[in-house]
Amino acid sequence: MTRPTVGLLYNPVSPLLIAQAPDLVEYLGVMPDRLWYDFGPNAQGRRFHRTLGAIDELRRCAEGRLTAGHGIGLSLPSAMPLDEAFVDAVAELAADIGFSWFSEHLSVFITPKGAVPNAQAGLGLPIAYDDEVYGIVAGKAARLRQALGCPIALENGAFFTPVPDPDMTEPQFLNRLHAEGRCETLLDLHNLYVNWRNGGETPEAYIAQLDPAAVIEIHLGGGDDFAGFYMDSHSSLTPEPVWETAFAHVAGFPNLRAITYEFQETYYEDLADGLIPELERMHELAETWAPRRRLAHAG
Amino acid sequence: MLADFQQALADLTASPELCMAVKIDPSLLMRRYQLTDREAGRLEGIVRHPGMACSCMVYRANRLAPLALNTPRLCKALGHDLRAVASDYWADHPQSNVHFYVEADRFCRFVRREIARGRSFGPEVGSALEIESAQVAAALRESHTEAA
Ligand SMILES: [Fe+2]
Ligand SMILES: [Fe+2]
Repeated sequence: MTRPTVGLLYNPVSPLLIAQAPDLVEYLGVMPDRLWYDFGPNAQGRRFHRTLGAIDELRRCAEGRLTAGHGIGLSLPSAMPLDEAFVDAVAELAADIGFSWFSEHLSVFITPKGAVPNAQAGLGLPIAYDDEVYGIVAGKAARLRQALGCPIALENGAFFTPVPDPDMTEPQFLNRLHAEGRCETLLDLHNLYVNWRNGGETPEAYIAQLDPAAVIEIHLGGGDDFAGFYMDSHSSLTPEPVWETAFAHVAGFPNLRAITYEFQETYYEDLADGLIPELERMHELAETWAPRRRLAHAG
Repeated sequence: MLADFQQALADLTASPELCMAVKIDPSLLMRRYQLTDREAGRLEGIVRHPGMACSCMVYRANRLAPLALNTPRLCKALGHDLRAVASDYWADHPQSNVHFYVEADRFCRFVRREIARGRSFGPEVGSALEIESAQVAAALRESHTEAA
């Protein structure tokens, strides 16, 4: 396996950044939910209307780059059947762009009565890490894998209120999904930092419980302080403590395929000067993967 | 049952008032939802968690996002009334729509209905509503990008 690729969660300003530094962006995480208008399951006529111009632009950017899908709308832990029309639409895009894997979130965005508002996947509802939810997630992940024909990963979320009285911890839940061949882990290191800043466990304690072989992608990103909490707003560069965690652990994830920076496009002007140095530092991070891995083999 | 647990958690996150009511009388949960004792206990724990205030805040911010993005003049013209109008709108339409233009279009219709019912707002609201509701309606039509 080669070293992990470095890239971005694709947004409308990504083409500008790619034009400035084409060689620094090797990978694109693509959110299908942002490439169509969803008129809902009760739509009269066609439900998903694709933003065709944006998809053309994405196709151009995706040329010569690794891509994977990153969805919100499937809400795998929801206690309701998988939205098969949504799966079909994702499968069509996956085939069109050539996703190497597809990730979703380990949180609830859809309830039986409707959608949980999320301006940018900011707030999904936390889930109970128990056998019942495990069964739902594992079953849907397997179905999704079959429909898309590529590996599936689930991303750890940022939560202000974990669900008490769990049967297992979140890393144990993710480990079990990996061990039983259902899906892999997208480890968002900034989300670990958010949870720690808001009173949760340290990123170190979390990673110590996680099977490193499960991790196929990591997310970097930044947030800001608001009303006494630290928010996962994707408004800033990756904070220093998150870099420290990344440099301490990247070499230990043997199946890592991508290191991804996510930012909200409305902050592009504020971030502009910092984005290329951010990508350069991500390449330095990716370089730490191979040498230590060779050493591990030698040992 | 799990579906009710998830719906209750969504409803609580949408409503600081419901959180407060549950804190005062936890049996309210069992009356409104079909929950196991464990699920009810988990919800009580969440409601008492200091982070719940933040979850509620982020929920409102995310629900406001499509309105602020697509009807910024209307939101500005509503000024201090925005808070109350948005709350009334959300009470009327408890489920958000993932299609931002559908959500903004519904909000414009709601404000128009409130005006028709005699609710009075600042002087700029009428003109802002006229301009932006037309823009949103046009964007909504254009979002039918493919043949039906
Ligand atoms: Fe995500
Ligand atoms: Fe993320």
